[in-house]
Amino acid sequence: MSFRNEPILELRRAPVRESLLEAMRALDARLPLAVPVLIGGERGAAEGFESTDPGKPNRVVAHAGRGTEDDAAAAVQAAERGFREWSARSAAERATALRGAAARLRERRLELAALQVRECAKPWPEADADVCEAIDFLEYYAAGAIELERGPELIQVAGERNTMRYAPRGVAAVIAPWNFPLAIPCGMTAAALAAGNAAVLKPAEQSPASAAALVEALHEGGVPPDAVALVPGYGEAGATLVRDPRVHVIAFTGSSAVGLEIVRTSAETPARQPHVKRVVSEMGGKNCVIVDADADLDEAVPGIVHSAFGYAGQKCSAAARVLVHEAIADTLVERLTGAVEVLRVGQADSFATEVPPVIERDAQERVLRYRAAAGDRLMASAREVPEEGWFVPPSLAVGLPEESPVNREEIFGPLLSVTAVRDVDEAMDVVGSLPFALTGGLFSRSPATVERVADRSPVGNLYVNREITGAMVGRQPFGGNRRSGIGSKAGGPDYLLQFVEPRVVTENTMRHGIPVE
Amino acid sequence: MEADLQQVGRSIHAALPGRTRHPLRALDQKAMELAAQDQELRAALFRFVDVTPACNGLDDLARHLTAYLEEVDERPPPLEAAMRMSGTKAGRTALGAAAAAGVRRMAHRFIVGETPRAALRTIRHLWEHGAAVSLDLLGEATVTQPEADRYAARCLDALETLAEAAPRWPAQPLLESDSLGPIPRVNLSVKVSALTPLLRPEAPEVGRDDAARRMRPLLERAQELGAHLHIDMESVDTLEATMELVFELLDEPGLRDGPSAGVVLQAYLRESPDQLERVIEWAQGNERRTPLVVRLVKGAYWDHEVVEARQHGWTPPVFEQKAESDRNFEALTRRLLEGWPHVRPAVASHNLRSVAHAVAANRAAGRDDRDLELQVLRGLGDDLAAALADQGMRVRIYCPVGDLVAGMAYLVRRLLENTANESFLGDQQRGVSIEELLAAP
Repeated sequence: MSFRNEPILELRRAPVRESLLEAMRALDARLPLAVPVLIGGERGAAEGFESTDPGKPNRVVAHAGRGTEDDAAAAVQAAERGFREWSARSAAERATALRGAAARLRERRLELAALQVRECAKPWPEADADVCEAIDFLEYYAAGAIELERGPELIQVAGERNTMRYAPRGVAAVIAPWNFPLAIPCGMTAAALAAGNAAVLKPAEQSPASAAALVEALHEGGVPPDAVALVPGYGEAGATLVRDPRVHVIAFTGSSAVGLEIVRTSAETPARQPHVKRVVSEMGGKNCVIVDADADLDEAVPGIVHSAFGYAGQKCSAAARVLVHEAIADTLVERLTGAVEVLRVGQADSFATEVPPVIERDAQERVLRYRAAAGDRLMASAREVPEEGWFVPPSLAVGLPEESPVNREEIFGPLLSVTAVRDVDEAMDVVGSLPFALTGGLFSRSPATVERVADRSPVGNLYVNREITGAMVGRQPFGGNRRSGIGSKAGGPDYLLQFVEPRVVTENTMRHGIPVE
Repeated sequence: MEADLQQVGRSIHAALPGRTRHPLRALDQKAMELAAQDQELRAALFRFVDVTPACNGLDDLARHLTAYLEEVDERPPPLEAAMRMSGTKAGRTALGAAAAAGVRRMAHRFIVGETPRAALRTIRHLWEHGAAVSLDLLGEATVTQPEADRYAARCLDALETLAEAAPRWPAQPLLESDSLGPIPRVNLSVKVSALTPLLRPEAPEVGRDDAARRMRPLLERAQELGAHLHIDMESVDTLEATMELVFELLDEPGLRDGPSAGVVLQAYLRESPDQLERVIEWAQGNERRTPLVVRLVKGAYWDHEVVEARQHGWTPPVFEQKAESDRNFEALTRRLLEGWPHVRPAVASHNLRSVAHAVAANRAAGRDDRDLELQVLRGLGDDLAAALADQGMRVRIYCPVGDLVAGMAYLVRRLLENTANESFLGDQQRGVSIEELLAAP
């Protein structure tokens, strides 16, 4: 496959940074944006709720139409029409449209990065990386669809011809989170479309404008208006989509609670529903980084800090726990403490910011509750935190008991817990005792240790001697196991298979005892 | 000028010491030659050198060594023997001890001492034999403010220690002045990345300002002690912060008449010609009491720059062909010499052609040999330094100081350089002819 990741911006160059600030000024002049319900290319209501800047909650980024249950039903109906038109196209034709959408995102990449900075308080490097990942998903699945259309090789014997093909399932409901406001909705929607399905996208209520930019790009790239709809809104729109018997696939990324609810609801198969729904669900994590005694701490400290506090810990791949060999625990804690204290907390639109605010008031309150639960085990916090906005000081807790909620539950914020262990095996026992298995990290310079941990670790993505976030499409297919997800790998070679059904045709090629091939 | 260059090159080459070596050094040389021939073996040895300080005892050392060697397909006989030793506890202890001694020996070749005080004997010895030094304090990465404070304190201590000892060194007129005036005996190289934990490529001003508050007292003290402070250059990620820091600090009213100071220009950077213009323009506009020293180097972060660029889909900021880099080195040398007397040129290279070119170009510009400083690295360029001193050139040896843990990153970089296929030293050791060594890139 001739796929290459979209190059991220070279932010170490001053003119590149200036171009982003200029894009921000242009965007600010246009705020607030209007995000309508978009069904069959028809723009519906663009009022009902708003997205705001988490760093300046008074700044409205977008007014959006609040998709109702009726809107969700209408979107599915349009998608059924869209499916007939779209699935009749060849994979190459569908790929052309997806690549057209990628080109459109590429043209708008500065503006779209700026939009994420405002709508989700995503700092510049991560906002840029998110736009690139969205482009990558479109390109990667476009190429993947063409390969998939060829079908796999089957064993052939005399007198019969066996073929296998992958057919699209139908209508896909895509329910997306806010933390990768363009890339994740794009990945799930692009995969559904690449495989020949129609899609209805219900983005997170925190980030409707980024999702709208995606749907616009898909339409401009050549995806028929009926084949992809946008239903902004809250849970009720998503729940309606999940229940709808005309929906075939549900692609979800978000919290474990909602994910498991989707798995349960979609398992119900009423008599009028002639299929069993397929669910692709990416849920939470409690990601551990193991630091062995022979680790290079010069690499481990920045790697851990970046993994735990980048985007204020609001990545499903983020590091939540460090399990460190007792021989070097004191040194690591001392260095981590100092590194946390110098983290720069601030507005996402400043290039100097490393830890932005969390997404909303509820999130701030939640993280602060866990922080309080850490009590006197809280060893370090960043020194200065702005007053306005949903800021939480990035913090380090050390030596909490294993059963502490801080150690067991997903916090999704800038709080990292460090635990000393006797050795790597004890660390692996801790990892094995957690219900999640999304990402994990290991810092060790022993090939034997790397092999042992890789062998025992249940996680979907294990990173060795580097940060544990930042999976790249095609290079690090991403997704978790256990209660972290159903195991499908976004940006990997088998992701599209979730969106198709396999069909095998066996033809008898004998006529009157004579092979006619 | 080319004829003069060839003649200079030949006379330096003739002055290089013969190949008789200390037996232990020959052993290291053997190890490095083996490593240069086999990429897998090279990787295994580097990984071992890198992990040495983190190993807990001889047994642990031996286990790491054999684990790396297991990944090498074809092991030369001495290493096969090492693998067999690792089967028993006693064998591992012996193997660990031998390997640790080997790494220590290599480290001593490149690192002059654990502290500036411990390095004084060597420094004086070099001075007496016609070579000045620039001291470089090795350290672990700076990720916290206390670590930055400790590095700054070590720098101050190094300045004080050297300044206290230097007056007792014998007179070396060639090393102490050029036609622009006196040259400090005490010379310290400092790294901006060690002076602050806040260097971020996308926000250079944050690290720059934090480093400035530690660099300022160093410059002030250097001024009081009559010492030279050289600000090293590292990867492109820190380039903007470093250049701005130097320009801003040296422009401050209190420092305009400050100490002798210097910057570094990396010839492997595609943007280096523009940088040099900026530096010369700045120097011309700022009549400092002592001209800015510009050290021209090839650049030591080539692999890092190329890998980082490839991972991110960028055009590498460095020349990918060695010849391009070498040609640029010569062009920059000529431009740098034109900048005199606003800048003092210091050409740092182990490449005989580049060195001969600098000497010849300086002469072609009608200048005295002492108006050109030539620099080499401790452990790599010692023979060249001796030959240059013998030829009456002004030589400075860049001498790292620090313990084994702190020195490891440096050591690995130097070993990489020394065993790279394209290295000049490699060519020289393979007995490449003088014609080829001096051929135009």
